[in-house]
Amino acid sequence: MSKQKMKRNLGKLFLELALFLLSLVIIVPLLIMLFGAFKNSTEVTAFDLALPEKWLFENFLVVFEKGKILRTFANSIFITAVSTAITITVSSLASFVLARRGTKLSRFLYYFFFIGTIIPMQIMPTIRLFSRLNIYGGYLNVIILYTAINIPFSCFLYTGFIKGIPRILDESAFIEGASTLQTFFYIIFPLLKSCNITVLILLFTGIWNEINIPLYFLNNPTKRTLPLSVYQFFGMYGGSNWNLVFADLVIAALPIIILFLLMQKEFISGLTEGAVKG
Amino acid sequence: MKRKVHLYSYWLIVPALLIFGIFFVFPSVYGVYYSFTDWTIGKDSISFVGLKNYISILESSELKLAIYNTFLYAIVVVIGKNVNGLLLALAVNTDLKLKGYFRVIFFLPCVISTIIIGLVFVPILHPNGILNVFLGKIGLGFLQQSWLVDRKIVMFSIAAVSIWQWTGYHMVVYLAGLQGISTSYYDAAKIDGASALQRFRYITFPMLAPAFNINMLLSMIGGLKVFSEPYALTNGGPGNASQVIALEVFSKFGRGQWGLGTALNVTLTIFVSIICVPVLYNMRKREVEE
Repeated sequence: MSKQKMKRNLGKLFLELALFLLSLVIIVPLLIMLFGAFKNSTEVTAFDLALPEKWLFENFLVVFEKGKILRTFANSIFITAVSTAITITVSSLASFVLARRGTKLSRFLYYFFFIGTIIPMQIMPTIRLFSRLNIYGGYLNVIILYTAINIPFSCFLYTGFIKGIPRILDESAFIEGASTLQTFFYIIFPLLKSCNITVLILLFTGIWNEINIPLYFLNNPTKRTLPLSVYQFFGMYGGSNWNLVFADLVIAALPIIILFLLMQKEFISGLTEGAVKG
Repeated sequence: MKRKVHLYSYWLIVPALLIFGIFFVFPSVYGVYYSFTDWTIGKDSISFVGLKNYISILESSELKLAIYNTFLYAIVVVIGKNVNGLLLALAVNTDLKLKGYFRVIFFLPCVISTIIIGLVFVPILHPNGILNVFLGKIGLGFLQQSWLVDRKIVMFSIAAVSIWQWTGYHMVVYLAGLQGISTSYYDAAKIDGASALQRFRYITFPMLAPAFNINMLLSMIGGLKVFSEPYALTNGGPGNASQVIALEVFSKFGRGQWGLGTALNVTLTIFVSIICVPVLYNMRKREVEE
């Protein structure tokens, strides 16, 4: 018995060690980026794990200046925050009805939204539509688009969640004389907290990291977002100054990595719960 | 007679419906029309040309290669992410001391933008990059490749980067599935004398079906819509060796061939729908039956 137990413990130790080595596969590329960001432009070309001879913090100053990081950072925050807020508001409102009504129409609408979770958007007709409306190229069309493409999955999550909230709650509020909107905002919305966090994290990470829509729909360099600026920065410095490229990548990746490390649980469940619930 | 106010007024759906309908569905439907036209930059009028754009997709070896690459990529990432994700989940699901650490580290890459990940791997996969140097040092020099330069393997290299980034995500989905399986099933099977392999085959595997389905679906959709990975790693090169459909749409957009680009976009939509809708329909149906 004890021999068997020892064998099992040894196996576990071996597994732990193997997984630890495997985790280095994830960590090493990120460390190469981090160390590279502090090296000088010749030292960095080894692209190895060596620590920088001298930690050049001034690389980051150059990047802040040349990469216009603060401006792009502000753009990303603005676009992500506004799109996320609008999406959460309109999706949770719509889902309240989608979840409660059992009619043919509501079921049709549910599937109508659902299509949007799978099919890719049609880019050029959308550009034409925005041009016709005279809003192509700016913040507004990007925000509208992020809202439009994220409504389906958000509705899907909210509808599922609201179905689990007892109907008696809203009916009694309604009988007490509350209006539909009052019922929703005072009774239902507070109960949606965990679903809100899921959707918030899902939307925030998705929009923050996305590059396709800014690439097509932002034609003004001062309005570009972080991922887009990173790629353009690589285009300018990727030939000669990889240390600056790495510094730029570090600055762009760091905020979301810090957020993730601070709220691991929320991030992991937020980003996967949607899938699991589906 | 006073009109009865309905508690669940359809008005609440209207904002979402309008935004989604006007800015997503309408262009999607209109795109089908544009795909049959000669819509080009600088042209004043748009005229109907029938199947011309679709025929030129079929006649262009570059575009056919992009379609082939898209499917190749999708298949490789679906297999890679699911096999690795499931194995990792099974390994992490034992009571290890570093369990929390593994979950966080393996998950970490998927919160970072794909563009950033792609650019980090550009120098790593360089012919003189650290990967080849490392392979040489540990005596696996024969495995050294020109990862992003060799036309034959470039798609696999790009897929590998995506697998690197997303395996942890799929691992967590599988983990959630594994943790949903009650231990009493295993206890009962052990009493009946089932081997570890039998327990996996007859308990774990069927009980994981929902997690498996969703992981397949997500990795498949992501694989077919792929854009950022090749955009960051190779931008379609060398030559056109790593072009995929979404990258070709982008290049047709840049060249002002909007009718053709839209036809490509519609083609992608058709592929995604044909492959993913039946899977989804099945999943929904099973859910209802449960």
